[in-house]
Amino acid sequence: MQQRFDIGRAAQTPLRAERAPGPQTSMHDQAGHVRGVEATSGGLIRSTVISGAAALAVLTIFYLPAEYGVDATGLGGMLGLTEMGQIKQQLFDEAAADDAAAAAAPVITLDPAVTARLDRMEAQLLAIGAIIGAPAIDLPAPAFESAPAEELVVVEPEPQPAPEPVATESVPESAPAVEDTEANPVPAAEAAAIEPAVEAAVAEAITSEWRDQVNYTLAPGEGIEVKLVMQEGQTARFEWTANGAVVNYDTHGDGSGQKISYDTGRGVPEQAGELTAAFTGNHGWFWRNRTDAPVTMSLRTAGDYAEMKAP
Amino acid sequence: MSHRTQTSWFADHGPLRVMVLLATIAITLLWAEAALAHAVTLGDKGYIQEITGPQIIPFLYLGAKHMVTGYDHILFLFGVIFFLYGMKEIGIYVTLFAIGHSTTMLAGVWFNFGINSYIIDAIIGFSVVYKALDNLGAFQRWFGVQPNTKAATLIFGFLHGFGLSSKILDYDISPDGLLVNLLAFNVGVEIGQLTALAAILVFMNRWRAMPAFGRQAYTVNVIMMGLGFYLMGFQLIGLAMA
Repeated sequence: MQQRFDIGRAAQTPLRAERAPGPQTSMHDQAGHVRGVEATSGGLIRSTVISGAAALAVLTIFYLPAEYGVDATGLGGMLGLTEMGQIKQQLFDEAAADDAAAAAAPVITLDPAVTARLDRMEAQLLAIGAIIGAPAIDLPAPAFESAPAEELVVVEPEPQPAPEPVATESVPESAPAVEDTEANPVPAAEAAAIEPAVEAAVAEAITSEWRDQVNYTLAPGEGIEVKLVMQEGQTARFEWTANGAVVNYDTHGDGSGQKISYDTGRGVPEQAGELTAAFTGNHGWFWRNRTDAPVTMSLRTAGDYAEMKAP
Repeated sequence: MSHRTQTSWFADHGPLRVMVLLATIAITLLWAEAALAHAVTLGDKGYIQEITGPQIIPFLYLGAKHMVTGYDHILFLFGVIFFLYGMKEIGIYVTLFAIGHSTTMLAGVWFNFGINSYIIDAIIGFSVVYKALDNLGAFQRWFGVQPNTKAATLIFGFLHGFGLSSKILDYDISPDGLLVNLLAFNVGVEIGQLTALAAILVFMNRWRAMPAFGRQAYTVNVIMMGLGFYLMGFQLIGLAMA
């Protein structure tokens, strides 16, 4: 029947001292409540010093070695705690180094002129492919890692292997070959039929207001990152929209051993503007759908950048 | 439009095509690595950085969690009620503490005024040391004065509130729904405080009914002071090593 745990009455519960009043000292008030402690000035100083010293001892003997590998007393090493702290610090350092390395990953940026030529070639290829009924090639798809090379080998006619070795040396060295292409396009007699289609495709690739456009549907909780490979100072125009929904975004860049966050936002429906690379690297957007319905993202970009890196 | 047309084009540009593909693949692989570099924050902070708009229950929970798991706040509260009796007396001090920390927490976040977390947490550690010395009657013994305990509770309440606001600012809370979320967090802090208080009182009530309490009160306050010193040292080390 004694309600020991009745919080509402907790403080009123009569104290033992109240029931059987002991020697009335300064630590008890008239109700018999203990209101303080018996202490002397010197005793308090001693207690304060002891408690401070105890805290200091625990920090220096255990905490600093075990967390930071800092062993001022030498006891941490004997106890094996210093090793713990050193391993922890090593892991932290390695994690930081990994982050830095990821940010410093070399970035391949192509000369915009070369990129433009490649774009034209791409368009021509697609046009030709469409006309002859070959499946369209989706370049960035990882599935193509090995397939394209084989495909090329298959279609390559045996009697004409001669120009290859020179052209394979490097991209810059192959540039003259590209010039050749422009100067001497596919022989007119053979290409007459496909010329208009190619022209149209090329024209679209070159003159379209936007260079790249990607669309993604993000399930609730899903995130996606699209980046542009840019050199320092290059500016790209962009326009993205969640098509009536909202997303969280983080416009950021990394590369050249640096990281930057240009802009972040939560619950934003769309954005348009220009992105100027603060350093050579990958600059772009991370979006995450924090709504409870799927969101369709559309991004269009144009301007100075080597390439769009999209999943 | 013959098959030959295609083959001759590929014959001319096959190597370049291969180069383009290889370069694309290489960049794609590099990019996959770079994708990992997107900064991600985990735990409560990560959650708060991801959400927007009013989230009442989550912030109630976070406020309560912060208080119940925040041993610095609980130690101080323990010190404050150590020699307090009766719900009225305890209620006055706990209210003063709540007014103090609510004021600076709300104002600090609202006006974006934060203090270095290590420094404010070291000050909160000091509040524990102060309260232990106060309970031991040290100020009276040493300086012949008893500082107003209610004022001290309010002032340390302010400082604890700055600790809370600095933490919330560090969480990078969204401006959208800020007021509602802050109030929810604050109510959560009070719920957490009352929960902790209830646990402390259950324990104190039984303990104070024992005759040994008078003797043990001294030792316990010295231990509490030591823990306060430990918290201070802990934060100052963090500050020095950061």
